[in-house]
Amino acid sequence: MSRSGAVALAAAIIVALALPQFLKGYGIYLLSTWAVLTIAALGLNLTLGYAGQVSLAQGAFVGIGAYTAALLMQAGLPYPLAFVASALLCFAIGWGLGYPALRVQHHYLAFVTLAFNTLVFLVLRNEEWLTHGIYGISGIMRPVLLGWSTAKPLAFYYFCFGMLTVIAAALWWLIRSPWGRAFVALRENPIRALSLGLDTRRYTLMAFAIGSSLGGISGALYAPLVQFIEPNSFALALSFNLLLMVIVGGSGYFYGPFVGALIAVLLPEWLRITQGYYLIVYSAMIMLMMAFCPYGLFGMVERAIKALRLRRAPPAPAAVSALQTERPRP
Amino acid sequence: MTPVLQVANLRKSFGGITAVDGVSFEVREGEILGIIGPNGSGKSTLFNCVLGQLTPTEGEVRIDGKPTTGLRPCDLNRLGVSRTFQLLQVFPQLSVRDNLILAGQEHQGTMASRLFGAADAGLGEAAAQMIEFFRLSHVAAEPAGSLSYGQQKLLDAAMAFMAGPRLVLLDEPAGGVNLTMLANLRERLQAYHAERKATFVVIEHQMEFVMALCTRVLVLAEGRVIAEGLPQDIRKNPIVIEAYLGH
Repeated sequence: MSRSGAVALAAAIIVALALPQFLKGYGIYLLSTWAVLTIAALGLNLTLGYAGQVSLAQGAFVGIGAYTAALLMQAGLPYPLAFVASALLCFAIGWGLGYPALRVQHHYLAFVTLAFNTLVFLVLRNEEWLTHGIYGISGIMRPVLLGWSTAKPLAFYYFCFGMLTVIAAALWWLIRSPWGRAFVALRENPIRALSLGLDTRRYTLMAFAIGSSLGGISGALYAPLVQFIEPNSFALALSFNLLLMVIVGGSGYFYGPFVGALIAVLLPEWLRITQGYYLIVYSAMIMLMMAFCPYGLFGMVERAIKALRLRRAPPAPAAVSALQTERPRP
Repeated sequence: MTPVLQVANLRKSFGGITAVDGVSFEVREGEILGIIGPNGSGKSTLFNCVLGQLTPTEGEVRIDGKPTTGLRPCDLNRLGVSRTFQLLQVFPQLSVRDNLILAGQEHQGTMASRLFGAADAGLGEAAAQMIEFFRLSHVAAEPAGSLSYGQQKLLDAAMAFMAGPRLVLLDEPAGGVNLTMLANLRERLQAYHAERKATFVVIEHQMEFVMALCTRVLVLAEGRVIAEGLPQDIRKNPIVIEAYLGH
């Protein structure tokens, strides 16, 4: 990481730690929502941004994680076990959902995952014996961890932020490992990757499973955050919202989901001053953003930095030899 | 000695069209076999059948005497068979160095060790040597997509050698490369062959490249082998001349 990048990261962490001290309950709730949804968006960014597997089912995994944690806690299981169970269950289901990705790609895969999201929503709504249907599950308690109660909003925010930090660090490691390189290869050229010995089948399933398990972890935090869950919270709209976070921040950029989630959580709140027009303004802003920076905010920043460097520096050897070497017509 | 590659009576049909029709040949250790033929003669289909990208309709492929027909390309690669493609196939957003590490990493350790071990899978030095060997040091940290076409061709070839393969199949390595870069590529391939005693099979249209590089040449036309021999004999073979020039 560059020096300026490290300084920006340190400043962001300090702000994230200090800011809630100056906020009231609703502000802390919004920040907690940001931290929780960022975890799900990080998972989707791994599946979609790095490994190139389109998924419109991340919201369903948040739902599965939330219901698993809530039901297990109601059954008397301690929160840490319910948390781990949510992650493992979503890992297993995500692995299974990865199988269609071995046969279909792009918008076909998007439809497969979209159908899965609808299926999960219908199970959550209709299987009342298990999920309590449209009545949802209420009274979900926030955990006490090693004697530390997270019942108060500020404590729960720090718990969520701590989890986000741990998960982000683990994901950073993963992306910089040979696995991360294999995921990028899967996205950029799966046929070449296969010819270089990469078991693309296994890496595709892993990308789905790990991304889905992060959705499950997000759900296991979401349930005690809101303390009441019901099926509509995990309908397609959440999957689209998570996709929006990844795309707006910059798909395939590590910090993209952090910024994307911040925009998706906070922008609607800031736009409340426009009263009834806020959804129209919000939609228009997203359309403009996508039209003018389809690579997301981090993609735009990267391009701006490259353009600045090119303007300042003499032509690089690669660029010079590109001019000297003929290129076949596309 | 068992040949490195044996292809026996290989046939591949697409509906009513037979692209490869009963092709048989062998490649011995240390050989550079050139496969030439007019467009549509079945060269690339033959390659894809040998390398597991396509399943042959009939026939058998053996590597070091072991049947490999129907194996997946990744399993073949782990057996020591590597390839390049007709069209450039590098990973444009990864750096030159990362492209090379990627090309060798699956031959190092297990899935778990690749997750928890070193980021470069212990291939940092090998990648640096390969970069130097293919004279790409000045662009090692650049994204592969920003390189010139000729440099990407060199990288593509370097990636095929990264895992130290027994057999390398090069599909039109000279395609679209200018004369200076072509000489550079040929010289590097010859140097690698001399240094490591690697076995190559090369599909190529560029006759001078084939004649200068290959130790033996196989000629395909309409999916069949029409001639086989030393480069200087193939050059004068009337059947080959007729196949290229037509009636």
